[in-house]
Amino acid sequence: MTVGLNAFILLAGLLFAIGLLGVILRKNTLVIYMSLELMLNAVNLALVAFSRYNGTMDGNLFVFFIITVAAAEVALGLAIIVALFRLRQTVMVDELTSLSR
Amino acid sequence: MTATQSLLVVLFAPLLSAVVIAFFCRQRHGLAAAISVSASAAIFIFSLLAVAAAGSDTVHVTTDWLSFGDFEINKGFFFDSVSKTMLLMVTFVGFLIHVFSLGYMAKDPARGRYFGGLSIFMFSMLGIVLADNLIMIFVFWELVGFSSYMLIGHYFNTKKAAAAAKKAFIVNRIGDLGFVVGIAYAYWHFGTTDLEVMGQIVGADSSMVNLTIAALLMCGFIGKSAQFPLHVWLPDAMAGPTPVSALIHAATMVAAGGYFLIRIVYLFPDGLLTFIAWLGVFGAIYAGFCAFARRDIKQILAYSTLSQLGYISAAFGLGYPGVALFHLVTHAFFKALLFLAAGSVIHGCHHEQDIFKMGGLLKKMPITGITFFIGILALCGVYGLSGFYSKDAILIAGGFENVPIAIFLTFGALLTAGYMGRLFWVAFLGQPNSEAASHAKESPLTMVVPLIVLAVLSIIGGWIGFWPEQLGGSIKADLDLLHYTDGYDAMHNRIVIFGTAAWVIGLLGAFLFYGKGAKRDRLEKIAAPVYGFLESRLWFDEVYNYYVAKIQQRFALFLSFLDVFVIKGIFVRGSAGLVGLVGTCSRSLHDGNLHSYVYWFLAGLILLWVAASGLL
Repeated sequence: MTVGLNAFILLAGLLFAIGLLGVILRKNTLVIYMSLELMLNAVNLALVAFSRYNGTMDGNLFVFFIITVAAAEVALGLAIIVALFRLRQTVMVDELTSLSR
Repeated sequence: MTATQSLLVVLFAPLLSAVVIAFFCRQRHGLAAAISVSASAAIFIFSLLAVAAAGSDTVHVTTDWLSFGDFEINKGFFFDSVSKTMLLMVTFVGFLIHVFSLGYMAKDPARGRYFGGLSIFMFSMLGIVLADNLIMIFVFWELVGFSSYMLIGHYFNTKKAAAAAKKAFIVNRIGDLGFVVGIAYAYWHFGTTDLEVMGQIVGADSSMVNLTIAALLMCGFIGKSAQFPLHVWLPDAMAGPTPVSALIHAATMVAAGGYFLIRIVYLFPDGLLTFIAWLGVFGAIYAGFCAFARRDIKQILAYSTLSQLGYISAAFGLGYPGVALFHLVTHAFFKALLFLAAGSVIHGCHHEQDIFKMGGLLKKMPITGITFFIGILALCGVYGLSGFYSKDAILIAGGFENVPIAIFLTFGALLTAGYMGRLFWVAFLGQPNSEAASHAKESPLTMVVPLIVLAVLSIIGGWIGFWPEQLGGSIKADLDLLHYTDGYDAMHNRIVIFGTAAWVIGLLGAFLFYGKGAKRDRLEKIAAPVYGFLESRLWFDEVYNYYVAKIQQRFALFLSFLDVFVIKGIFVRGSAGLVGLVGTCSRSLHDGNLHSYVYWFLAGLILLWVAASGLL
């Protein structure tokens, strides 16, 4: 049985929605971060699926770039979160409002 | 020493004196007086040296002062026969008045400031005399205005003096507005404001004479020389110390206006000259009448000054600037004499200025009285005295050029003799009418000697034939011009007869009418409405007050309303308020909460999507 394009897009959409809701609703910076990664990967999945069904390599190529950039970004972002925790003893966003007016 | 070097000393000695006094001698009064008087002596000596060095040549030196692109301002001396005559007159009379001040101001608590003011005044006045272009004249012209303000307001703790100083300053500014516009126009028209170069341009092409420029420059003259309608400041300016009135408001500053006209006479078209002549005639008659209803000795002399300035502008307007200069010089001598003698009287009478409270002063103060009488005779134009020659020349010029003017001016001479006679008979003859007058005694030597010197000058100052040949070139030229006109002898005889009749009738009439040492003004007693009318001075001050307080003030309030509500309220405050409102709104978005940023981000994204998809 061949899995259709729609199934991949549906799955990617679901993953993206989960990630978006995570970003919106969760308060822990680490979890928000993980949700962001989930959204990225949902996009990756959609790109690969399109690439497969179009028979071109454009989407795959894009995915490699995204994975590379995301890896770098994760290294940087986690470091920031660790530094933040050292400074403030918390990573909950509702307590990190010192930039308000 | 060349003439230029001497002139530099002449110009800067009083400035140096003023600066030294201002910085170091404001409390050391004796030292300040010594510095100022020696500076005035020095400038007289160096003026003599300058005249001697220049001989009969015209010295014209000029250098750059400022230049902006094509626009250049020069500074320099233009030392011709007119300015030589004026320079010697100003420095000599100025020196005598400085000496007189030593005695008159001996007990004044602010002598340092007073003498500093005299020095800065001399500096400004000499700048006008020597300047070679209009812009430099204007700079010194304003300095004269400033020093006059300072000296009129010497007793600034009295309300009268403070108000008079302000009035003089403001009224002069009105005239100066025209003056400064005239200078700008002259620069645009001639490409220069140099007196000699402008003269050459006009001489080469008489179509370059421009009525507007001449009329604008005349505004400066009207303000400074207190001509109608800007004459109102001069009588009030008598609130200053008396030597200041002598120096500024009789001999030099008000004469600066006439001198300025004489310097630029070539710029005036005929019509405007006739206008100036009639302006002078009106001023002469008007001031003559006003003087009859004044009780203050200095105010009577002030109106007499207004009247004589009218003669000067009439002579100028008749086309004889040399005669105008002649009368300016002789007037400076006898008017300085009269004012200083009045100062001596006021000093002797413990600052009593009302002539009806004097009386009998001739016996108490013989030298002052006699010199004062000589001054009156010179002013009235008694044959042989200085005033006779210059007034005679003016009347003859009037007789040739414009007979009605001559008739009016002869009538003015009658008025002059009348009010001066009233002053002398009432104040100097009869018995003392007040405590102050009965204790009067002759003034000290520093005050009496200048009076004697000026009295001698008032007698011989008009003997133009005895003047050194370097001086008075234009005066002699104009007198010769009159002399060789057809019918001169007949005209001369007629004028001498009428002029003499005028002063004899005036003096005798005043004597018979007012009597010796009167206590009350007889005119006021028998014809109160006439006296009241004269005292009101044609209500000029009231009209100006009404204009300023009602019309101009309301216009100013209207402009202020526009400024406060439209410009400040709507444009300035309005735009600031709008920007502030936008700022307050957008600042409330910035709450530091990550989640709300996410919502705003999403909202923005949706907005972009809607816009991009064409739904909006």
